[in-house]
Amino acid sequence: MAVTFTVSPIIRGVTSCVPPRVVDNLEEAGEFQSEEVGKVVKLAGVRRRHLASERECSSDLCLAAARDVLQSLEWNPASIDALIMVTQTPDYFLPSTCCVIHRALGLSDKCAAFDVGLGCSGYPYGLCVASMMLQSHGFRRALLLHGETPTRFSHSSDRAVALLFGDAGSATALEAASSRTDRKWWFSLHTDGSGGDDLILPGGGFRDRFPQDARKHYVFMNGANVFSFTIKRVLPLIEDTLRAAGLTKEEIDYYIFHQSNQFIIRHLLRKAGVPEAKVPLTIGEFGSAGGPSVPLTITRGNLLRPPDRSLTLLLLGYGVGLSWGSALVDLPPAAVVNHVILPENCTVTGRG
Amino acid sequence: MTQEEALDWIAELFEEPREKITPETDRKAIPAWDSLGVLTLMAALDEKFNIILSDKDVRGMEKVADLLQILRRNGKPT
Repeated sequence: MAVTFTVSPIIRGVTSCVPPRVVDNLEEAGEFQSEEVGKVVKLAGVRRRHLASERECSSDLCLAAARDVLQSLEWNPASIDALIMVTQTPDYFLPSTCCVIHRALGLSDKCAAFDVGLGCSGYPYGLCVASMMLQSHGFRRALLLHGETPTRFSHSSDRAVALLFGDAGSATALEAASSRTDRKWWFSLHTDGSGGDDLILPGGGFRDRFPQDARKHYVFMNGANVFSFTIKRVLPLIEDTLRAAGLTKEEIDYYIFHQSNQFIIRHLLRKAGVPEAKVPLTIGEFGSAGGPSVPLTITRGNLLRPPDRSLTLLLLGYGVGLSWGSALVDLPPAAVVNHVILPENCTVTGRG
Repeated sequence: MTQEEALDWIAELFEEPREKITPETDRKAIPAWDSLGVLTLMAALDEKFNIILSDKDVRGMEKVADLLQILRRNGKPT
């Protein structure tokens, strides 16, 4: 796909949510030697991570985020026309996680709801789908939820992932522009399925539902291949999006990278000629939380927000699939940006 | 880039004494050339030479000579 655009909807609010349990990689080395951990922390930049318990799911994190954003905006749940849940860590194979959250939020039976099964690239994809719906007639308000709990599928002895992942959820409240506007959001969305085996959770699905090898219930990542993919794909993604939108690198206020690995992000921004000040990092405090690391970095990346104009953000997601995408959007000064810790007893089941 | 310059660069990259690095040096003899070191190497190759390693390249690197071969193949005579 070439770069495409939609009429710009309005971001009214973004809330991120993480589980309360925090692990300091340097203090809880698990199965690894401290020297080894030190090297990983230095390279990947992951000092602390928030870990979901066995009872905490992506749905719970997104539910808490959604409740916060609805409350902050004083939006009646019945006014939500569309709920999009982006996740690869659903509660069940069926029903879709969106339906579980729909019930917990008490949304209307007039609300369209569906899941999008994407990971690291999920936020740009989700924004693209939401903004396309909002530019059509009938949809006024949409909630885009994006949550992942990758720590629940990473093996504690796998050095490639065990110290890297954190868990997070998010809710983004979007509203159709109330009057005709010439503002646009730009998107570039891509896939290379030939790299599917480079980041895969091989067991538990219907291809191999009850694998004999217990390791197949945990994620496998070929870090070198994923790094090659990132080097090859992300720079053209940035350049193509900017070219289509007619913007220069300098006109972007912030580049919000999927927080995959600090070393990789810094390598990319050096290659792209983007100053570090325009690239907020949250991986040190939250680890790599998959695709939700993008909205998490919007809320926790210490973005300087001038009161008199919107921020222009280039959002970048890339990874499992292999799938990658960008979203060039604006964050209005009035948008509510919050971050919450998952409260006790805030689960889609109503039980803690 | 001459072979000597390439060896200088590899020694500096993996923080090893220059005299330890020859084409015959085994990857296992270079502690920093572990799975994390591969990422450092990949980033350095991309940044300095615009070389992106393939999966086959990464799997095939056992000695310094293999890395020199990759440089040669990408038009960086060593």
